[in-house]
Amino acid sequence: MTALLEIRGLTIDIARDEGPARVVDGIDLTVMAGESLGIVGESGCGKSLTMLSLVGLLPNRIRATAGSAMFGGKDLLKMTPGALRRVRGSEIGFIFQDPMTSLNPVIRIGDQIAEALIYQKGMTKPQAAIRAVELLALVGIPAPEDRAQAWPHELSGGMRQRVMIAMGLAGHPKLLIADEPTTALDVTIQAQIVDLVRDLKTRLNMSVVWITHDLALIAGLADRIAVLYAGTVVEDAPVAEIFDRPTHPYTRALLDSLPTLAGEAMSRLPSITGTPPEPGRRPPGCPFAPRCPLAQPACSDAVPKLAPVPGSDPRHRVACPIVIERAVA
Amino acid sequence: MTMIDTDDRPSGLWRDAWRRLRRNRLAVAGLFIIFGVVLVAVIGPWLSPYDFLSQNLDVRNQPPSASHWLGTDDLGRDVLARLMFGARTAFLVAIGVTVTAVFIGVSLGAVAGFFGGPFDRFVMWFTDITMSVPQLLLVVVINASLKQPISQWMEARYIETLNPIYRNSTLIDFVLVFGSMALISWPAYARLVRAQVLSVRNRPYVTAARALGLTNRIILTRYVLPNAMGPLIVAVSAGLGTAMVLESAFSFLGVGVTPPTPSWGNMISDGLRVWTNYPHLLVAPAAVLAVVTVAFNFLGDGLNDALNPKGQK
Ligand SMILES: Nc1ncnc2c1ncn2[C@@H]1O[C@H](COP(=O)(O)OP(=O)(O)OP(=O)(O)O)[C@@H](O)[C@H]1O
Ligand SMILES: [Mg+2]
Repeated sequence: MTALLEIRGLTIDIARDEGPARVVDGIDLTVMAGESLGIVGESGCGKSLTMLSLVGLLPNRIRATAGSAMFGGKDLLKMTPGALRRVRGSEIGFIFQDPMTSLNPVIRIGDQIAEALIYQKGMTKPQAAIRAVELLALVGIPAPEDRAQAWPHELSGGMRQRVMIAMGLAGHPKLLIADEPTTALDVTIQAQIVDLVRDLKTRLNMSVVWITHDLALIAGLADRIAVLYAGTVVEDAPVAEIFDRPTHPYTRALLDSLPTLAGEAMSRLPSITGTPPEPGRRPPGCPFAPRCPLAQPACSDAVPKLAPVPGSDPRHRVACPIVIERAVA
Repeated sequence: MTMIDTDDRPSGLWRDAWRRLRRNRLAVAGLFIIFGVVLVAVIGPWLSPYDFLSQNLDVRNQPPSASHWLGTDDLGRDVLARLMFGARTAFLVAIGVTVTAVFIGVSLGAVAGFFGGPFDRFVMWFTDITMSVPQLLLVVVINASLKQPISQWMEARYIETLNPIYRNSTLIDFVLVFGSMALISWPAYARLVRAQVLSVRNRPYVTAARALGLTNRIILTRYVLPNAMGPLIVAVSAGLGTAMVLESAFSFLGVGVTPPTPSWGNMISDGLRVWTNYPHLLVAPAAVLAVVTVAFNFLGDGLNDALNPKGQK
């Protein structure tokens, strides 16, 4: 397998009047071709900003200030806005969290997909209209020809999210980034969407990055999971390793909170006290140290680097010298 | 999912708004009055047995009668015919001014709000300056300083070409009135559209459109502007009424449409001089102006409620 996307040392700062506040601090992530990567972490840990920075969609006053993101031999972080625009949609597709508000209310479903095809791919109107219906069928929308004539407000949340996926796939991207695409949906619909994406991923031979709060939801979808805490990757391992041998104290806390209802679980971690640091107020050294049951004075000296866990799958890496020492012992 | 509609109306949102508007009696009344006056303005002068310019000194200052429904003025011209032609003037000016002002205001406001940055600051600075100049003063200055040179230039062109269009003094009036009134009206539209665009440009579907790789031009024209139009429609409806009142006010003051071209404003002005003897010469144009203005306000309020159902108490 070859790497499709390689993020190295990605750092993102918010420009504030008091000075820059760091929200993402040296993230390393790799997505292999055909692989699906799950990214989990509490609200505000920088999951969305990390992905938006790749395609130049960071909000005003927020910038990627260091690092690189190699995609197909080019550094996305160094591309011009025009070049990035062509990457969006046609090489990297996005699906967002809120299907209720992510469709333009004044354009019919079919036209909305067709317009993307016309402007992105230079298709003619009739070609694009046919392709739009095909895409609606591809994402499992019944009676796609009729639905193409519908207005967004006439569809249910699950149907709209399917439409969003169809739009994300319109340009045949190599990488589909899904930012909490099921958070706003019913539990049964969530599972359907996960199944749909898994199925499409194999059929279209794409890589998928799936951002979520909900470890259990993506257990069946992701090949690998990266756990983020306060803008750093604290553990990165194949999905089975994460569930069988969670190593970082934060990952363990996440798993301990799993049996409670999905979604609610991540808002507060019952097994750990405290809250993640605010952007710009990260403690020195390991950002998790203030809440960590294993913390030692040395934890505040340096930011721990990801390192392989001895005696596990070689792809299992964790950013905590203490647990690595224990694994050796 | 039960029904998928396939009609061609722009969207369900607009359809709902239209239904709410139809339930508002005052707004419907306003709409009817406006349609009625437009109809009269378009076909009235053809139906009338009298020409709005033809004088008949035998029947000066007559009160309303069977042959002259609204009487005649001091030159024996039929008041109804002049009122109907005045409606043409009023609507032409209102539409021309509003279209021009909306075009300028929407272009500048949308681009400023969407892209921000130095251009935005420049546009805002420019609107502030324009809005800080007293409107009446600006129009008077423009008329006073430009009318003379333009008339001379037109006269010179006429001598050169003998094309009768250069002899048309009404044209000069209209161009000056359009231009100066559009100049003072666009900043309000620019501000409104800019504020709307600022709120729409961060909506999730705009971000989603960016993530699809659509260009800024497409995003602005297909995703942002159509969703920023609601308040503009309300403002345009009110703006048409305001433009009519302004036209009448300027014509009343002698800096708008000049006699003998009838305008409600210059008819009121003429009527005012003789109202103690011939009140119908003042009452007829003043009443029409008042009714049409009120009609536009009713329609504007109705549109406002119809397009912002949550905005109601
Ligand atoms: N437009 C913005 N302006 C200022 N700060 C922002 C903005 N967007 C995000 N942030 C801050 O950046 C941090 C990371 O945000 P991000 O959206 O990446 O978090 P996330 O991990 O995706 O969270 P969630 O799970 O809630 O989506 C947060 O602390 C947030 O407060
Ligand atoms: Mg997010």
